[in-house]
Amino acid sequence: MKICLTCSHGGHLTEILQLMDAFEGNDIFFITYEGARSSELTRKYTMKNLGKKPLRFLLSVPKVFGILLREKPDIIISTGSEIAIPVFYAAKVLRIKTMFIESLCRVEEPSLTGKILYPVSDVFLVQWKQLLFKFGRKAQYWGNVL
Amino acid sequence: MEAVTLQIREKSPVLGECALIFVTVGSHYQGFDRLVKKMDEIAGKIDEKVIMQIGNTKYKPVNAEYFEFAEYSKIQKLNSDARIIVSHAGVGSILTAFEQKTHLIIFPRLKRYNEVVDDHQLQIAKELAENPNVTVVNDVEGLEEALKIDFSFVEGSNGNRLVPSLKKYIFSIS
Repeated sequence: MKICLTCSHGGHLTEILQLMDAFEGNDIFFITYEGARSSELTRKYTMKNLGKKPLRFLLSVPKVFGILLREKPDIIISTGSEIAIPVFYAAKVLRIKTMFIESLCRVEEPSLTGKILYPVSDVFLVQWKQLLFKFGRKAQYWGNVL
Repeated sequence: MEAVTLQIREKSPVLGECALIFVTVGSHYQGFDRLVKKMDEIAGKIDEKVIMQIGNTKYKPVNAEYFEFAEYSKIQKLNSDARIIVSHAGVGSILTAFEQKTHLIIFPRLKRYNEVVDDHQLQIAKELAENPNVTVVNDVEGLEEALKIDFSFVEGSNGNRLVPSLKKYIFSIS
């Protein structure tokens, strides 16, 4: 199976790297930001930090479509930050399964990315039970990375 | 609850071996002057070596070695070599400290000082306050006192329960 992992290049990446044992034996590639942290990943596509720059967001859309059409992953998994937004919406159009994992740092309040991606995620996980009540019925708690 | 075994690591400042304090503020785009300034001041007063990862902080330390960002392997090595880590309440920094089995002093970023976009760091700090490998400090004046403690790392207080559930799911859709 081919798994696409998408997240920003800092703590969200550290978090997803804690989960690698679960993906063992599958073909894995990353979509992440350029940075010192992500420079050590082997199979990756990088882009400039989207932050809150609307123009960069728009420009990232064709790039993301290109990557997903070329790679055709079976599932896309993200631990967050805004990079997941163009990727998940493109995945929706291309009918690729998605899983969003709200970051461990989100204890009582959803992240903005989480709120935006909740409607388009096939599987939506939170890492603290008290966060379940802030989302709809789709949200699930399967434990956390601690 | 599994039994917790107490492991004393040879990182004691008393022994003088690898007496290093590693300060880290992660990759967040806002700076963290409050922590870097205070730790720089403390570094000028103590014998222990202090190395700081300052990220996007404007203030540059004068009493301690520092760098802005580094590849993960270097960060992991500093986490492992340090007697203690002083960190913002960022999940990446917290997970790396746990992975390298080093006690961690957490000093949360606050929105009111423009250190972070919202106060979620306070929430994670509160959740981790009971963890034996974490000391939460909320006031800069408390940092110096916290550093005097001779910490040891308690094994088995964390367990990654998300991995087995994820593994099962991935297997089910394969």
